Amino acid sequence: MKPNGPEIRTNDIDPDKMDSKDTQKIDRLLEEFAARAIAPVDAMPDAQFDAMPDSPALAARRAILADLRPVRPLPAAGTLMLGFLGLFASLAALSAAILGPHGFPALSPAQRAAIFPTLLAAAAAWAVACSRQMRPAGGARFGAPALLASIGVFPALFALLFRGYGVLNLVPQGIPCLLAGMGVAIPAGLAAVWLLRRGFVLDWSAAGLAAGVLAGLTGLAMLELHCPNLKAIHVLVWHVAVVALSAALGYGVGRIADARSA
Amino acid sequence: MSVVSAPGLEALMAGYQRADEEAATALIETVSPLLLRFFWMRAVNRRYAEDLVQDTWMRVHKARHTYRPGEPVLPWIFAIARHAGLDNYRKARRVEDRETQVETLPELASAKVPDRGDLDADIQAILGVLPDSQREVLVMLKVSGMSLEEVARATSSSVGSVKQKAHRAYLKLREALAPGGKSGVRPNEA
Repeated sequence: MKPNGPEIRTNDIDPDKMDSKDTQKIDRLLEEFAARAIAPVDAMPDAQFDAMPDSPALAARRAILADLRPVRPLPAAGTLMLGFLGLFASLAALSAAILGPHGFPALSPAQRAAIFPTLLAAAAAWAVACSRQMRPAGGARFGAPALLASIGVFPALFALLFRGYGVLNLVPQGIPCLLAGMGVAIPAGLAAVWLLRRGFVLDWSAAGLAAGVLAGLTGLAMLELHCPNLKAIHVLVWHVAVVALSAALGYGVGRIADARSA
Repeated sequence: MSVVSAPGLEALMAGYQRADEEAATALIETVSPLLLRFFWMRAVNRRYAEDLVQDTWMRVHKARHTYRPGEPVLPWIFAIARHAGLDNYRKARRVEDRETQVETLPELASAKVPDRGDLDADIQAILGVLPDSQREVLVMLKVSGMSLEEVARATSSSVGSVKQKAHRAYLKLREALAPGGKSGVRPNEA
């Protein structure tokens, strides 16, 4: 290993926007601190440090070496993403096949061409989000804009593709769809969590949200394949609710997991 | 301070995954000082920072299969480290919430853990004006010697966001270091 010598990368920060004297002053303070922070324990100003029994590096090394076994690195992010996407596609298709694929024949070719690629794209995006959560520093997390876009695109699309806003029998016809959707989303979410646990999740709130949205999309995909009710109000309310509810559930469970792990 | 060469760390990490004792030892010895700086800048005392370093290594050990050979090691370790810090902070908050307040604090039988020296207290006072997210970014960039890309990876954010936080941190620090600034540190001391 070749150390680069005493160096601090001083200006990654936009130097044009900063008074150089001030920048140097701040850098000097931080450099001085950095040098002191790594000083050996016995060089610390307070002699009590001499009595400290063990350094963290020593203690950590001892524990780690006692438990040192070879490990197989996690597959590449692309492979993990395909795993989540495969979970989405297989669970949606399998559950629709079991419940009866009555919705698919009821859709026009144009509706199919608009709905299923959009579902696949949204699922792919959230499969990426899930795979990023599996490893530390796996990539930027998906925030509120991505969540709003991936849930919001479906009401917009369904409003364009379907007609009929009469509320007669809205609830009696909707509840079975919501239950069926959640009945698929919950196992899909559990399967996604099982996959997530193969990695090392640092932020369970973000991972729960990603798994929840992906699971909700699985439920939505199943409903589009299964449900022959093409009334706009039904699809907008009950089908989209599966994604929103599943996302909220995933996030909530993730928050609890985060609180427990602390 | 020394910024460790990235290819060296990657080789050590790959060796650690293969259960190579020498590689694991070298990795721990090389990265621990960087972690100590990172935690000490935010912790009350050195011993607490050292506990966090140890906790981080235990987590690194559990997570070592998630490192992809060839990828930068420091962001991977620092992502784990910042969560170790966050978890410990949450735990401390929870304990604090459960504790009953007494009028006078009891004397501790154990030896006192020494706090930082004057310079460290000054830095603490100066950095105290920064929000946690800005302080974290500044410490990673300037004290741990990571690049913008590495900090972005470690914090699961974008390079633009890291740049913005660092810029804002500098603006606040400049204000704090100005005569009569909030830090309470005289400018000539800095």
